[in-house]
Amino acid sequence: MTPPDLWRLSLENLWRTKLRSVLTTLGVVIGIGALVSMVSFGIGMQENVTSEFRENDLFTSMQVLPAKIDVGEVMAGGFEPPETVTALNDSAVEAIRALPAVELAFPEIRFPVTVRMMGKEARTSLQAVPAAMGRYKPFSEIPYGSFYESDADSVVVLTGRLLNELGFRLAEEPVDARAGESGDTELVPISVDSLIGRRIEVISSTVDLRSAARSFMRSFTPPSKLPLKEDVARLRVVGVRGRLSGFGAARFRGGIIVPIETGAAMPRLGFSDVWDLLDSSEQAQGYGSVYVRTRGMDDITPVREAVEEMGFGVLAVVDELEEIRQSFLIMDALLGAVGTIALIVAALGIINTMVTSILERTREIGVMKAIGGSETDIRWIFFSEAATIGFTGGVFGLALGWAVTRIANAVANHYLRPQGVPEVDLFYMPIWLIAGAMAFSVCVSLLAGLYPASRAARVDPVQALRHD
Amino acid sequence: MTPFVLTRDLCKTYQKGTVAIPVLQGVSLEVGKGEFVSVVGRSGSGKSTLLNLLGGLDTATSGRIVVGDSDVTSMSRQDLAVHRRSTVGMIFQSFNLIPSRTALENITLALAFGNHPRSDRRRRAAEILSSVGLEGRLSHTPGELSGGEAQRVAIARALANDPDVLLADEPTGNLDSGTAAEIVGLLEALNRERKLTVVMVSHDEEAAREVSHRILRLLDGRVIDELSGRAGA
Repeated sequence: MTPPDLWRLSLENLWRTKLRSVLTTLGVVIGIGALVSMVSFGIGMQENVTSEFRENDLFTSMQVLPAKIDVGEVMAGGFEPPETVTALNDSAVEAIRALPAVELAFPEIRFPVTVRMMGKEARTSLQAVPAAMGRYKPFSEIPYGSFYESDADSVVVLTGRLLNELGFRLAEEPVDARAGESGDTELVPISVDSLIGRRIEVISSTVDLRSAARSFMRSFTPPSKLPLKEDVARLRVVGVRGRLSGFGAARFRGGIIVPIETGAAMPRLGFSDVWDLLDSSEQAQGYGSVYVRTRGMDDITPVREAVEEMGFGVLAVVDELEEIRQSFLIMDALLGAVGTIALIVAALGIINTMVTSILERTREIGVMKAIGGSETDIRWIFFSEAATIGFTGGVFGLALGWAVTRIANAVANHYLRPQGVPEVDLFYMPIWLIAGAMAFSVCVSLLAGLYPASRAARVDPVQALRHD
Repeated sequence: MTPFVLTRDLCKTYQKGTVAIPVLQGVSLEVGKGEFVSVVGRSGSGKSTLLNLLGGLDTATSGRIVVGDSDVTSMSRQDLAVHRRSTVGMIFQSFNLIPSRTALENITLALAFGNHPRSDRRRRAAEILSSVGLEGRLSHTPGELSGGEAQRVAIARALANDPDVLLADEPTGNLDSGTAAEIVGLLEALNRERKLTVVMVSHDEEAAREVSHRILRLLDGRVIDELSGRAGA
């Protein structure tokens, strides 16, 4: 008997006992529906979290520190600064940059500045970032103007928040969008066109020890105010950044962003954070931290190991992710187990239906053997029936699972929207899940058909022909 | 005449718990090619068991069966299936048609087991049904057919894969005398016109004598007598 014959015969046999076939298949439909909707919920959750991480480059970036630190220890308050600190200087940055999988490595330069524009002043922080970062979020998404293309230009990218602090607001941005933020109504509207290309003054401060010493020598009294010297840089505005959101935003929260060489050349206080102070005893020229970006997600671990080998500390979000991933695996397994239990119950239904069917069709099996049906033929006829139930159940089960996920998603979003949560797809049904569920359905059904089919094949034709 | 069907010291014993029930006790017979042989005897004499062994539906406890060039007693279960589908065609007292299938579909199923080309099955089935006088009954299920018509479908099914031997187990047992005569007449015609070897089990010795070349009398699992039929006279 050829496979099309078997398939046709099994369909005819199932059609003959429509109600029973439909009820048995319904068991598989519910099993597969439960399995698919539950697993797709688990995958959806994982996908939502990891895509957020991926979009913000948290899988491909790390922060290199002058010494190894244990985040847990720091959080617990038991951290003690290391006795020797390796210099995180230009040559160290060069060495990191030379690692094969490193795409970008630059020192994180950030210091306080005063910005003066159209007669108004505001204090903010300056962050020096290489032009190459313009390819990645958040710099690839500059809503007004553009990101700079050279590391040495005297240009600057502002934030909307800094503009607000200066007393301006972008005329192009609707007031509603910023509702709830600082007293917007008093802000002076300024168009993007008049802002882009405008020069602003960025004032950085340095300690002027010489003038302090001179004044001390003159009067022999300590200075009444800090002996700071101000340096003014005139920078051209090229872009305005939108509001920052997401996991990765905190790293680039500077009020103004300038090209890395421009920023590095600006005179500033000798330290910007605690590491500069720690460093100062050993190596005055070290950076506080270095931002490293790898080519791919898989490069994080080798690069991290190589950097730690050099004696530096590394902070990477991906460390935390491993734990998150494990939690998701456990969740997926639990959700999958519920669906699998439903499918096992369905499999028992298949066995029951088919064994009943054999009892009813004993004489028919005898007839088929009498007219030349072999044991293999009979086995395959029953196997095909089980596979048909599994396949049909799988197809409708997938449809049911899909419908359940769409309805659940619509309901969830309906309740989340009023709470300000952006539209989110809680379920994710990848191709492998669809194919896997189909294969699982057919395999479980075949497994369920194994015993009935071999029992049917072993029916004694002489006895079967006497069977009523 | 060279025997086409041959048995030697054929024994079949059924085991019921610890009790052994001998049904055939050393049956030796020979049937020539194209011969019509009837086996008669009382209920429980072993007629049907003998036919089941010849047809490969059952296996002998001891002894030997040869059909054509093949030793049936040494066949594997798969070989026995091939023997049933291509060498012999079986007809039963209770017709044994599949009730949910039409006359045509009962035949096409046999053709499917015989690996007959799928595209030709319906034509072939219709042709055989026509040859037994059922051209108007193709799409009727067994429940919609009379006993005689159902047995004709069964005969057509037995002929589907061009067997060498037709084994008929009391083919008229469930039929009235008029219809029984028609069915026996059909078997006789198949034997005469197509030179088909026929072994028929019957309880009606008189009717069997009309169409058979030879008659074997069975009693308690042994051949006790051999008579010439009118066809052989």
